[in-house]
Amino acid sequence: MRMKSGIRFAVSALLIGAAVCANAQDAKKYEVTAPIKIEWWHALEAQYAPLVEKVVADFERKNPMIDVEAIYQGSYKDLNEKLIAAQAAGTTLPAVTVANTPYIAEYGASGVCEVLDPYIKATRFDIGDFGAGLRTASSYDGKQVSLPFLISTQIMFYNKDMADAEKIKLPETWAEMDAFMKKASKVSDGATQRYATVFPGWDQWYYETFFLNNGVKIVNKDGETTDLGDAKAVAVAQKLKQWCDDKAAYWAYGKDASGVMRQNFMDGKAFSVIHTTSLYNMYATNCKFKVGMHYLPGNTSRDSEIGGCVLLIPRKNSQAVKNAGWQLISYLTGKDVNMLWARETGYMPTRNSVTKTAEGKAFLAEKPAFKAVFDNLDHINPRIQHPAYTALSKVWMQELAKVIIEGGDVKAAMKKAATLIDEALQD
Amino acid sequence: MKANGNAITGRRGASHRKREKAKDFLCVAPALAFFAVFVYYPLVDLFRIGFTNWNLIRDDYKYVGLKNYKWLFKGSGFDTWLASLKVTFSYTFWEIVITLAGGMLLAALFNRESKAFSAMRSIVFMPKYIAISTSAIVFMWILNDQYGFLNFVMGIFGKEPVAWLNSERTALTSVLILTGWRVVGYGMMIYLSAMKGISKDYYEAAELDGANAFLRFRHITLPLLSPTTLFLFVTTFIASMKVFQSIDVMTSGGPYESTNVMVYWIYDLAFVQFRVDRAAVVASVFFVILLAFTAATMKISNKSVHYES
Repeated sequence: MRMKSGIRFAVSALLIGAAVCANAQDAKKYEVTAPIKIEWWHALEAQYAPLVEKVVADFERKNPMIDVEAIYQGSYKDLNEKLIAAQAAGTTLPAVTVANTPYIAEYGASGVCEVLDPYIKATRFDIGDFGAGLRTASSYDGKQVSLPFLISTQIMFYNKDMADAEKIKLPETWAEMDAFMKKASKVSDGATQRYATVFPGWDQWYYETFFLNNGVKIVNKDGETTDLGDAKAVAVAQKLKQWCDDKAAYWAYGKDASGVMRQNFMDGKAFSVIHTTSLYNMYATNCKFKVGMHYLPGNTSRDSEIGGCVLLIPRKNSQAVKNAGWQLISYLTGKDVNMLWARETGYMPTRNSVTKTAEGKAFLAEKPAFKAVFDNLDHINPRIQHPAYTALSKVWMQELAKVIIEGGDVKAAMKKAATLIDEALQD
Repeated sequence: MKANGNAITGRRGASHRKREKAKDFLCVAPALAFFAVFVYYPLVDLFRIGFTNWNLIRDDYKYVGLKNYKWLFKGSGFDTWLASLKVTFSYTFWEIVITLAGGMLLAALFNRESKAFSAMRSIVFMPKYIAISTSAIVFMWILNDQYGFLNFVMGIFGKEPVAWLNSERTALTSVLILTGWRVVGYGMMIYLSAMKGISKDYYEAAELDGANAFLRFRHITLPLLSPTTLFLFVTTFIASMKVFQSIDVMTSGGPYESTNVMVYWIYDLAFVQFRVDRAAVVASVFFVILLAFTAATMKISNKSVHYES
């Protein structure tokens, strides 16, 4: 009996030892063994340059073998173009790049990104510290192809001073939107003195949550069809149009729509605007009134979606560059640096060890408006992943904006959009 | 002996000609190599990509035959293609009108020798030197429907604000306002230099025959400017058919594709929708259209252009 236990113990010890050795062996594979210079492409504008420089300098101090050149590549769209060109050429690829979350599906499907699972396993990177939604948003086809970096979600920014003075109740449900529109807007003689809210029609991400929370399937399970032409979707679109027709809200559309919408809010011409949480610092700094954040109303569900960007390592890089890239992205997404990003920008803390601890409380004390987000962390879902999603969003955005701004039959417009979207999804 | 001598001279002549030809070829070889690598090879590859399903970032792709051409001519791409072609030609037509008519008019007005006119010429020509993206951003502010300068001025005169860039009825006109501001000075400068090259003898002779200013312009200036007009027409035609930057900055092809010119659509297909296969087909067809139009223009113009000599 004793002998049997002894054998069992010896075998277990051997197995554990072998696993540890294998892991150490694996970890060695991803070590940086010689000095190397790498590039990090990002989309953090000039106001964040000192922060980027500080983070990079700290990283270089801790990793003396790696010299990082952080390059601002313009907007996510500009960065995407440059990454595509570099990927097609197979040269001049950065070791690490940020990517707007909707690009991950296409990048993942096309094999642009290095699969990070072996790195995570070998270096025991704490991937579980990110929420499940964030992990899914940065994965493709069950593989971790990127890591969550600067994460945001849709939110309603509102004028807190106005809300308190006029006792405006913010809508919790879709059904309460009518009353909210009436109370928060000021319309007389067919002219609007103040809009209740502004719908950002230039990007479907901002309003698709209204459709999702009303039970609309934007991409069906088959991945080849949409329900955007169905009755539920038409009803949501009709409501949005009605509020705009009543001049209680307006549909912000066009290249300068974002800037104009912000200005309207700052000037008190709009009680609220629907935007991304990442812009909290911008609003809080530039508005002469207190800015509040309100989680968007729901109906059958009350969820929002992940926005912002992830970090990835292009697959075509050499292993030495990938190893240095891995060191950099694990540092950039680490707990301490994550908190630094959250404090200095309007992006959210992404790690559970931050959001669910005393540090999270300290963050909330600093930015109390973020309570609306922290209270709903479990309801922030990954975006819909489909390689044809950019084509889908373009059609939808165009048809919806046209019918709301220029007028026309909502049902026919949504039907037309759905037909074109089905074709894009199936192709 | 003489025949033999002639044969030797002939052989020498032939080898001399061969050497000269080789020398000529070597002189143009670098340029040919440059064109082969950077123009002809991409052109051939463009047509090839049109027969694949490549998305530019995937390593593997398949040849799909005429699938992309069917999408363009028989599928959902056809309506967008027709609309885009219409927008592109409309934009080109108005840019040509502004460059030729505006340029000629300003050249006739500013064809004077004084410091004031010289300064005015510089002011009108200056926009050409300003980067399109910079001027486009300034014009976006001028044309903004809520905070723009143009609507502010219109408001002073009691006019309702216009959604210049955000209405499908006015978006193309708005882009053309920027274009006109940029190109009219260039047209003027080219016409001015051509006008200065016309001999004064013609005008003096016409004046002696009793021709007034309009008749002199109609029968002397205009015909003798026709080579310049042809040059401006062809270069403006090709450049404006390829308009991209002002559209990208000011409208992104919208609203509702009302400014979706061909090159912007190609860009959108390739870099936004990841459909480089379709973009290649649209670009190939557009190349053929441009080539045919340019050739036709050159052929027609050979019959109607007057050269002074």
